[in-house]
Amino acid sequence: MSEGSDAQPISLTVNGEPVTVLATPSETLLEVLRYRLGLTGSKQGCDKGDCGACTVLVDGRPVLGCLTLATLCDGAEVRTVEGLSTAAGLHRVQAAFVRHGAAQCGFCTPGMLMSAVRFLETREQARAPTREEVAAALSGNLCRCTGYAKILDAVIDAAAELGTRSVPGSNDAEGAR
Amino acid sequence: MMPLPRFALARPGSLEEAARLLSDAGAEGRVLAGGTDLLVNLKHGLAAPRLLVSIDRLPELRGVSVDDAGALVVGAAERLADIAAQVLVRARAPAIAGAAGLAAHPQARNMGTLGGNVCLDVRCRYVNRTPLWRGSLGGCLKAEGDVCHVVPGGKNCMAALSGDTVAPLVALDAKAHLVSASAERWVSIEALRGKDGRTPVALQPGELVRAVRIPAAPPNRRSAYLKWAVRHAVDFPLVAVALVVDAGADGAIESLRVVASVLGPKPRVVAGLDRFRGERITPQLASAVAEQVTRQCVPLPNVLYDPQHRRRRLGVMVRRQLDAWVG
Amino acid sequence: MSGSPSVLGGRHGRIDGAEQVTGAARFADDLSLPRMLHARIVRSPHAHARLVRIDSSKALSLPGVHAVITGRDLPTPYGIIPWTTDEHVFAVERARYVGDAVAAVAAIDEATAARAVAAIEVEYEVLPALLDPEEAARRTDVQIHASKRPGNLTKQVDLAFGDVDAAFAEAPLLLENDYAFHGTTHAAIEPHCALAQVDGDGLLTVWSATQVPHYLHRALASVLGLPARRIRVIQPPVGGGFGGKSEPFDLELASALLALRTGRPVKILYTREEVFLAHRGRHPTRIHARTAFDRDGHLVAHDADLLLDGGAYASFGLVTTYYAGQLTSLPYRLPAYRYRSRRVYTNKPACGPKRGHGAVQPRFAMEVQLDRAAVHLGIDPIELRRKNFIGENTRTVNELRVGSLGLLACLDAVERASGWKERRGRLPRGRGLGVAASAYISGTNYPIYPNEMPQSAVQLCADRSGRVRVFAGTSDIGQGSSTMLATIVAAELGVELADIRVVAADTDLTPVDLGAYSSRITLMAGHAAMDAAREVASMVRRAVAKKWEASPKDVSLAGGLAIDICDPSRTMPLADAFVLAESAFGTLGAVGSYNTPKEGIHGDYRGGTIGATPAFSATAHVAEVTVDEETGDVVVEKIWCAHDCGKALSPLLVEGQIEGSCYMGFGEALMEHHETDAAGRLVAPDLLDYRIPTSLDTPFIASTIVEAPDENGPYGAKEAGEGPLHSSIPAIANAVFDAVGVRIDELPITPEKVLAALDKQREEQHRR
Repeated sequence: MSEGSDAQPISLTVNGEPVTVLATPSETLLEVLRYRLGLTGSKQGCDKGDCGACTVLVDGRPVLGCLTLATLCDGAEVRTVEGLSTAAGLHRVQAAFVRHGAAQCGFCTPGMLMSAVRFLETREQARAPTREEVAAALSGNLCRCTGYAKILDAVIDAAAELGTRSVPGSNDAEGAR
Repeated sequence: MMPLPRFALARPGSLEEAARLLSDAGAEGRVLAGGTDLLVNLKHGLAAPRLLVSIDRLPELRGVSVDDAGALVVGAAERLADIAAQVLVRARAPAIAGAAGLAAHPQARNMGTLGGNVCLDVRCRYVNRTPLWRGSLGGCLKAEGDVCHVVPGGKNCMAALSGDTVAPLVALDAKAHLVSASAERWVSIEALRGKDGRTPVALQPGELVRAVRIPAAPPNRRSAYLKWAVRHAVDFPLVAVALVVDAGADGAIESLRVVASVLGPKPRVVAGLDRFRGERITPQLASAVAEQVTRQCVPLPNVLYDPQHRRRRLGVMVRRQLDAWVG
Repeated sequence: MSGSPSVLGGRHGRIDGAEQVTGAARFADDLSLPRMLHARIVRSPHAHARLVRIDSSKALSLPGVHAVITGRDLPTPYGIIPWTTDEHVFAVERARYVGDAVAAVAAIDEATAARAVAAIEVEYEVLPALLDPEEAARRTDVQIHASKRPGNLTKQVDLAFGDVDAAFAEAPLLLENDYAFHGTTHAAIEPHCALAQVDGDGLLTVWSATQVPHYLHRALASVLGLPARRIRVIQPPVGGGFGGKSEPFDLELASALLALRTGRPVKILYTREEVFLAHRGRHPTRIHARTAFDRDGHLVAHDADLLLDGGAYASFGLVTTYYAGQLTSLPYRLPAYRYRSRRVYTNKPACGPKRGHGAVQPRFAMEVQLDRAAVHLGIDPIELRRKNFIGENTRTVNELRVGSLGLLACLDAVERASGWKERRGRLPRGRGLGVAASAYISGTNYPIYPNEMPQSAVQLCADRSGRVRVFAGTSDIGQGSSTMLATIVAAELGVELADIRVVAADTDLTPVDLGAYSSRITLMAGHAAMDAAREVASMVRRAVAKKWEASPKDVSLAGGLAIDICDPSRTMPLADAFVLAESAFGTLGAVGSYNTPKEGIHGDYRGGTIGATPAFSATAHVAEVTVDEETGDVVVEKIWCAHDCGKALSPLLVEGQIEGSCYMGFGEALMEHHETDAAGRLVAPDLLDYRIPTSLDTPFIASTIVEAPDENGPYGAKEAGEGPLHSSIPAIANAVFDAVGVRIDELPITPEKVLAALDKQREEQHRR
């Protein structure tokens, strides 16, 4: 990363903030986030796309930071775990993770949360998600501690909460609580 | 971490520019699509291109449409996740949507493209490893060496075709639109895949896949893509097969195509299925077809699972799917 | 949540939960220091080779390369067990497995270090490699480690209790079977990482993703030849351990020496392949089991011959060799027991402790033996286990003291939850239920190196702000040890969890704790925290009582208040109470420490201390499976697990341990396999081919907490982190038999093995 010769500036929006940062063509988004921008929330677990610990949202979609070239994110909007909470508090899925004990060692958690956020933001809001749907959405994020049980509980709980708030008048959402 | 080697990266805004860049780079250039396969191979030292040409800003490689002949045309840069969800694809080529939706895991499907999946490099337990690992046996035909560990004494690399969409595309008689700086051509997906794993894709230097065209389906078509892997996500297929059955209004088979993958580098189009033409799908037929598939399809010890088991399973998968279509 | 006695057993989350979900938790690789160098390790491509020559001149001439170190620089051997120090940071004379460390390079960044690694020339003379444990046990001409005795044995244990031969001679039912447990690895998602720095005063600080800061501290001192007081070890949050980070590794020692040599901070982060090579996972174990029963299904004798494939180094192997025999003697009454356990060296990545250390493999064999007996005798397998229950407050045949043991309640719970009575035997062919049970230690009774000092200690400090600090050497690796300490302190002092800060695992700031292994922390550090908190609480009560002119015993601390029990309307905010106490006593602090009871815990034969523990947990599993008779696929539909942890201080965290254990056992039973090929290379050195289950593969796990409090546990608490793994595997194997009538005695239970067994069954039926 300190090979400066072929590094070029790229401009991204990271968690809502415009950022200009140097990156070489061979640098991954994960390296730029972690080592150049100090956003170490996104983790490296395998560095080859098998574990999902580096999952971040690029233009809204969960992708693998370790296999995304940073240069190709020029102009993109990137969301990482650091951008989920606000001064007002934790994002509801973060809060649900804490409440349900969905993190043990916490290493897969940032990537897992980003997949969960995408799922919650794009799912069909009118009904509560099934356990299988949540499992499918998180199937690219390996967790070695939890057996996924409390992670699925947390996401389903967060979905119910989201449902009641964002779909007023939906009977399903009421029922889901 | 496994650092990527140094390379130059181009991000052309038009197909013409991309083709020119690739043409200029010749053998030293590579198309970068989703990167989920290529970048891992680069991290593993399996290739060291001087230039990567990204296709992520080429409008010509985008879009899903139906042409005048009723064929489905899918841009090569369309993401697997979108293809899996796309209404047109689901309606007109459900096996393709299904295959795209079974590839790897959600993040990889958000990155990987149809073109990338079609051109996916072959995979082998002796190849897709670090240089340290490969080095201890002095490499193989595909990387750094001159022997094959899968077929001792073999002269061709027999690594496995692993892209999920290839078998169904072949079964649906799809063609790829290939474009270079000087020419364009259509080639069947079957012909696009090479029989030697060292040259897994029959692209000329400077050529790239623009789109894939899947001919219109006759009215009574049934199709399926069946994948077996140990896990329900992340894994590449350990054996996979696509089935396409076209029938007349009376249910009699007009055409039956079965294509298997994860055997060697090429998709295996099961031969001699014409003899079932005119028959209806019955349990007997299902067994007969499965037997024929099993006879012709011979998995190799190129991926991590017992080849005999994979062969047997292939037969069960085919028979069960046809059984589900009985009547 | 309010601080009150009800915090014990309350459904609170982790105290570091917010830190974890916001990405604020700083793991080892998240740390960065000015002028930091990155180092990488050169590894042997040969399973067994003599080092002829290492030439690092080309690497050193690359721009950006700062130092290269090799075996010559670190000649002192080390190893977690003081009697088997057979490792060097870098191979000195020869490399003993594919991946053995040979040298390390420090450079300005990882890419440069990686290039430098490729530029180091190493000449090897390839030696014959021993990859099969039977062969390694037999051969004396190839010796992986030079030792006094010819051959490749790390350790052999032969022990017998009771008259085994007489029992076998008279027993009406004798079952004799061979079992094979395969190699599996921890696969924590965080790769090992270490960062070392030497400050201007020469103090060496090492941050490492370790489960055992204390033992790392000792190894650094011994290998580097530095006084321990000049070394500080800090364990940042660890991204999963499971036993895979519970001994010193090459990267910690190498980064330290490189930092000393270069005067700059040096970080080493393992690649995922290196994590698989470092291994120290479950020993592949071949077990020949002979088990005798009486007509009613009572165990009368058990005889096991175990061969453990140890890999290239001893690791914890000496202890593993004992555990493989010692812990089979419960939770059932075993009148006569004999075992021979041998661990051999092979030219493969070293095996060591993985969750359930040593006891998981023989548990598989024993529980399947019991299932076979139940079938032979026509006894319900749960009933058979009840009959054989060893009881509480007793001793095993090998003289381990057993206190509380809630096995019967565990069996009742899974029997009820799974609908066992109504459903078993009535399921269609292809669907089955299986049961298994186990018991496990809550901490090993003795430290790894003999000493009489406390095994855990806590310093507690409260101040006028109302805040409480807990200093403890404990390693939170995800199991929640810091939350456990806070829970106990909150309960004793009446403060809220949020007002407690736990400072853990820093050898400069915290008192000693031996580490996160053998499920020891809740029992040991929990005691220390409880004692320290009670002392501080007593000071606070006395100070408040003086003010109120009441008796200290009438002052209660709860819900953030000091309360007069005789007049509950009289209260005082705790911060005010702390002010009174601080005024009365000076600094408001206390220490607590714990050492295990030594009287009557174990027998006095050689090895009798291994397996001894202050308290045993108990577990029962029921698994429900579907077997596809055409493909051999086994789908685990559901797992019910009941675990007796004595007292669940934090039930949410205990459930998490149960669920995680069931998950890990499920993966081992069906899909994971850490194995080498004919060249000694790992067959599956990545998370693609080493298949740990995804969210779509993992069955629904229904956990039940059982509480049989133990007098040796704080509030009765015992372990929960490892016990719930043991019987998960045989429960699945027994369910497969219940579904289709075939036994898979060689793990993992793969489709091709199931199909092969079914084919054989069909052939036999056909012949009849």
